Amino acid sequence: MRNRLSSLKISAILTAAILVATATPAVAQGQAYKAPRTADGHPNLNGIWQAMNTANWDIRPHAAAMGPVPMLGAQFSTPGGLGVIDGDDLPYLPAAAAKQKENYANRVKLDPEVKCYLPGVPRATYMPFPFQIVQSAKTIMLVYEYAGGVRTVDMEKVTKAPADSWMGWSTGKWDGDTLVVDVTSLNDSTWFDRAGDFHSDALHVVERYTPRSADTLMYEATVEDPKTFSRPFKITMPLYRHVEKNAQLLEYKCPEFAEEVLYGPLRKKPNNN
Amino acid sequence: MIRIPMRRNLLALAAGACLVLTAAPVWAHHAFAQEFDEKKPITLKGTVTKWELINPHSWIHMDVKGADGKVINWMVEGGSPNNLFRLGFTKDALPPGTEIVVDGYQAKDGAFRAVGKDLTFPDGKRLFMGGSAPGSHGESEK
Amino acid sequence: MTTSRCISIIVLAIALLAVDPASAQALAAAKATNTPAFTPPRTPDGVPDLQGVWTNASAVPLERPKGLGAKEFYTDEEAAQREKQSQDQAERAVGGRQTEPGTVADVHYDLGQYGLSRSQSKTAESKRTSLIVGPEGQVPPLLPEAQKRQAERAAANRGHQWDGPENRGLSERCILWPNEGPPMLPVGYNGNLQIAQGPGYVAIMQEMIHDVRIIPTDGRPHAPQSIRQWMGDSRGHWEGNTLVVDTTNFSNKTAFRGSSDKLHVIERFTRANDDTILYQFTVEDPTTWAKPWSAEILITKSAGPVFEYACQEGNYGMANILSGARATERKAAEEVAAKK
Repeated sequence: MRNRLSSLKISAILTAAILVATATPAVAQGQAYKAPRTADGHPNLNGIWQAMNTANWDIRPHAAAMGPVPMLGAQFSTPGGLGVIDGDDLPYLPAAAAKQKENYANRVKLDPEVKCYLPGVPRATYMPFPFQIVQSAKTIMLVYEYAGGVRTVDMEKVTKAPADSWMGWSTGKWDGDTLVVDVTSLNDSTWFDRAGDFHSDALHVVERYTPRSADTLMYEATVEDPKTFSRPFKITMPLYRHVEKNAQLLEYKCPEFAEEVLYGPLRKKPNNN
Repeated sequence: MIRIPMRRNLLALAAGACLVLTAAPVWAHHAFAQEFDEKKPITLKGTVTKWELINPHSWIHMDVKGADGKVINWMVEGGSPNNLFRLGFTKDALPPGTEIVVDGYQAKDGAFRAVGKDLTFPDGKRLFMGGSAPGSHGESEK
Repeated sequence: MTTSRCISIIVLAIALLAVDPASAQALAAAKATNTPAFTPPRTPDGVPDLQGVWTNASAVPLERPKGLGAKEFYTDEEAAQREKQSQDQAERAVGGRQTEPGTVADVHYDLGQYGLSRSQSKTAESKRTSLIVGPEGQVPPLLPEAQKRQAERAAANRGHQWDGPENRGLSERCILWPNEGPPMLPVGYNGNLQIAQGPGYVAIMQEMIHDVRIIPTDGRPHAPQSIRQWMGDSRGHWEGNTLVVDTTNFSNKTAFRGSSDKLHVIERFTRANDDTILYQFTVEDPTTWAKPWSAEILITKSAGPVFEYACQEGNYGMANILSGARATERKAAEEVAAKK
């Protein structure tokens, strides 16, 4: 009798141990984090997110460097970054590589960010400003604090844009827990960063937003542009949730801030009477 | 018994309708008057080099051969393209190389820039919406 | 607090006690659209569904045409007359020139050729004589202090209106368009908005100029008073099937119809039927108007989509306006010099 009880006890303990071991999220065993669901059963990506890196300065690995405005000294110089691309450099075609160097030399004049122009994709994701995901089943709105940029991702059907635009034409679908967004019809006027990295109107971006933990997403953008690059390349970075109480996007209506730059020379001079 | 609206109601109705239906924003006219000269009407005949489908105004760039044989590239201001998109027009509706005729007004600052009033193909058909001649009625013709 | 304000509050309180606000809204929505009282579909989170692409284009003027007095609604015949005028206008707009060649009024691209004439866009059917409700149907007159503010602003700009970008209107500067508000008013064209709802938020994106109002409905307080924004700061909550949005924290640069940073806007969105949202708003600013004023607009389903309206990026106009003004000044200076 005592032997049977003992073996029962041992079985019970072993069973319990196995149940405990398998009950916890299996992150340790290499399985992906499974995000909570929205009420309609999709991974919940709602929230206010922001990248925390120096990609907007330069998406390639780079050391700290003097900024383009000497009078702003250490306040506006380039911080170093390990890069957000796969590899040490971008696979520019030779002519494009030369153009990028020219862009860099003239970046104060040419960077669309200076003029408060919409940043395009994927730069909008890693501007030093938060963005908010408002997610419904049919439409996912990506709202960017910088310049009030917005993208509506059509989750129902794939359609074609009638013309190019600054923020492109986005259609989306789910791949497991990952939101996959296909972005076409981007115009050729945006840059990837402040370092003059650019593209043509043949740009095509496929984004993947994957929940990594309760407060982080993993963002991956595959960039292809056969007129500029010899092969596609990937941009990868975590996105962090704004967890402070009552976090919200504020306005950054920057046309006002760019008026001196854009129209200063056209102002009426005092002695023009 | 048929109720006939009081005359003053009809008058008010007409006035109200006029205000609502004909008025472009007042500021728009005022600003256009600074950009373009009502005393410098112009007719441009040429070929499209680029169609900028942008806001707040779209722009048609066109090569125009002057009397001296020199080709000058003009840019012609038009309306927001967004409703054209909703009506099914795309960037392919006006490809480079298309011959067009533009009636409009020249820029005040002497640049090769104009606001386009009537936009037609050489046969008189309107580029986007409207009949084949001013004053005629018509459905949109793509 | 003025006596009239006290009385208004008491009257409102009595009204609220008498009628459940939720059903009052449903009745108002049914009446406005002449459709049966509507139970709206719900989002998966269980709140009324306002989502989709909508247009607030309207043939109804904000203020009642002079001479109509307290008449809030046209008869069926009068409404049909207004509709007919709209149709006639559409034909003229598509057909050709409506202005005299060689005049300043003619210096504009033809809206009709681009499908932008107001008469070429779908508008909600309405028998209202004005969007502003009530016996007056007008924006109340400006209080003396508001008139003074307006006069000072005008005086400062007089003779300087073409000097630089700061002297131009907010639309020309691509900062804010009058349709954006809040309150959101009908505009000549592209009057489209897209509403998306996520848990605890309602996002309203307007085509011009692509601004998105993200309205939290979780009961949080407004942003700190020291934060002033062009479009203010909005907070929403549900009353029955109605989304009530309260907006404060306006910048004094917004100056909606001459108002100050004391501007306070309350909006109500009620789905009246599958294709219509009843949009009501009340505007108040004790430094601008003696009393609040309210309006009602029917927002209707639109085929969409909303296209990008990248204003800043395409704003050749600002440079051209200033360049034109400088050219005019140069020419005038040359003429003066030539006479000497």
